[in-house]
Amino acid sequence: MIRCGYCSHEFAEDEGIRSCGKCGKPGGCRMVRCPRCYYENPEEPKILKKIKRLFEGENR
Amino acid sequence: MGLFSRGKNRNIQPGEAGRVKRVALVGNPNVGKSALFNALTGAYVTVSNYPGTSVEVTRGSAHFNGETFEIIDTPGMYALLPITEEERVAREILLNERPDVVVHVIDARNLERMLPMTLQLIDAALPLVLVVNIMDEAERIGLTIDIPLLAEKLEIPVIGAATARKRGLDEIRQAIAGYRPGRHVLFAYSRRMEGDIERVAGMIREDYPLSHRSLALLMLQRDDEVAALVRTREGENWPPIDEQVKEIVYNRRESFHLDLTMERRSIVKRLLSEVIRIPDRRHVTLGERLSTLSVRPLTGVPLLLVVLYFGLYRFVGEFGAGTLVDFLEGRLFEELFNPWITGVVKGIIPWAIVQELFVGEYGVITLGLRYAVGIILPIVATFFLFFSLLEDSGYFPRLALLVDRVFKKIGLTGRAVIPMVLGFGCDTMATMVTRTLETVRERIIATLLLALAIPCSAQLGVIIALLAKVPGALAVWSICLLLIFLLIGFLAARLMPGETPMFYMELPPMRMPQLSNIVTKTYTRMQWYFIEILPLFILASVLLWLGKITGFFVRLVDWMTPTMHALGLPKEVTVAFIFGFFRRDYGAAGLYDLQTKGILDPRQLTVAAVTLTLFIPCVAQFLIMKKERGWAVSLGIGIFVTTLAFGSGWLLNQFLLATRLL
Repeated sequence: MIRCGYCSHEFAEDEGIRSCGKCGKPGGCRMVRCPRCYYENPEEPKILKKIKRLFEGENR
Repeated sequence: MGLFSRGKNRNIQPGEAGRVKRVALVGNPNVGKSALFNALTGAYVTVSNYPGTSVEVTRGSAHFNGETFEIIDTPGMYALLPITEEERVAREILLNERPDVVVHVIDARNLERMLPMTLQLIDAALPLVLVVNIMDEAERIGLTIDIPLLAEKLEIPVIGAATARKRGLDEIRQAIAGYRPGRHVLFAYSRRMEGDIERVAGMIREDYPLSHRSLALLMLQRDDEVAALVRTREGENWPPIDEQVKEIVYNRRESFHLDLTMERRSIVKRLLSEVIRIPDRRHVTLGERLSTLSVRPLTGVPLLLVVLYFGLYRFVGEFGAGTLVDFLEGRLFEELFNPWITGVVKGIIPWAIVQELFVGEYGVITLGLRYAVGIILPIVATFFLFFSLLEDSGYFPRLALLVDRVFKKIGLTGRAVIPMVLGFGCDTMATMVTRTLETVRERIIATLLLALAIPCSAQLGVIIALLAKVPGALAVWSICLLLIFLLIGFLAARLMPGETPMFYMELPPMRMPQLSNIVTKTYTRMQWYFIEILPLFILASVLLWLGKITGFFVRLVDWMTPTMHALGLPKEVTVAFIFGFFRRDYGAAGLYDLQTKGILDPRQLTVAAVTLTLFIPCVAQFLIMKKERGWAVSLGIGIFVTTLAFGSGWLLNQFLLATRLL
């Protein structure tokens, strides 16, 4: 889940608008735009996702 | 798909063999349905358009209490009677997919507004579990909700939760797994209303996913889709039902829907009279006090200055660009790493020209890597830490409200705070975000101001660190930048035709920033920033090396020297401007090098900093400007910005020479 840093709208990463990679930055800007206000929110790194999932898995 | 495309994870977790129970999450938008969906399902989700519509529905599987469940995150809906396509799809799911459990998620802060839909779901005799979400925020504002009493009154399982904080998740799983269909409580409407419902419901014979009572209510509210469903299923029995519905609708005219809404509201009021306790004098939290102070001009502007002083000046400027850079660049690179690597490279590579590429004046390691790791990295790390702290506290929307009045004078609205704030991170991405502004006029003005007067984080950090060492220099630089930003914005708004649109936004609560959020955001931004700058810095070093060995670089410096002299700057500053065209932060790092060598006096340093900040945007930003606004506008902005940068530098130099201010 991402909580938008601007409007506080909470959305799943899949609901967000991903960058197009057309800015020329290597691999694109890796930001997820809030579907409500379009603010750019950093995508959670894969390593952190894995760690979180590990803990969530243990809690279930 | 347009430039942005919605991400989809198509890793579908197949259900286990045997009966897979279906769970539908329903509720208003923004009540935490998606947070609950994610907590229940994890990563195994599929996003697809609902057949025949453009509405996306997310499905996932979850396994708990020894059972597998298919979880459906339905689009936001306000009532069973649909108005929007999203609501229609949500109801279709309830009608067609016959979920084993329907989880209605509501916001604890707005029970009175959201419980009427719970009543509708109870009326429909759906297998209902109620989740009263966002309990943490409700408690924070002093609301007390008696969850067991609410469950007793509604005669359904009710769970108090804060799904974003993982509170109540186990109870929700237990309620879903342990749900057993039972009798449903009936909330009686007025005698007349009940009479109307009974006259229609009593005539329906077939079995439906919704109760006869609910179907009758929907048909009496002129729900054509439900009427079509009943007509198909009832066959010969339909004409008398239709006749009855028409008669009641005719008798009650427009008042049926209104009467029903009012009656549901009064039922909810009675229900909540003992369930919810609102304090006589609501406790005003520190966050609310700060929120009020930050949007009022009289207190908001001083608060902004305090935030900038401690956040940018003390933390990013003094600590990041001072203490950390002194240690990393001064000690680690200049004293230890660079002499060592120079010796190693010279020992391995015998040719001086190739040695120069790696460890020379503009060497990939001695300049590119040193700038990236020794100077830029500590500055962006402290900047992004400060930025994430502000972001997580909810300060930015308040800043938008605070500056809205000033921004209107320059043809923008508070909404432009998003690209402006993002510009302090990276102007290239911020330029792309200008497309979210309402009018073309706003987009062009915002693009111009970003290219002109918004320094990116690393450039800002280096410049603050450089100028902080000279009394008065930072004040002169800040005033110059602010005046130019406002003046150019004001002139652009006068010269470009068009109206400034309205700006309004719902203010989210101000919160205590969470350490995990700050660390995650800072780490992510730093990681991508570093991945982005390192290859560019290396490329710039290679180009500069090529320029040096071919003599082109010397000719370029000679060509620009008269301009530098006109600004009262020494010839060496030309190098920083050439660096700046590759990247803004690279140019600032070049200026940092000149300052540490003692080449610039306070006046020259300030003039160079102002000119370099205003100077032409870096290559990446220019390319994005061209993409977003076209050749004509971007070239126009490029020429204008360059002329204005050198013009302002010249004027400032004359002013400082005349006044001897620095």
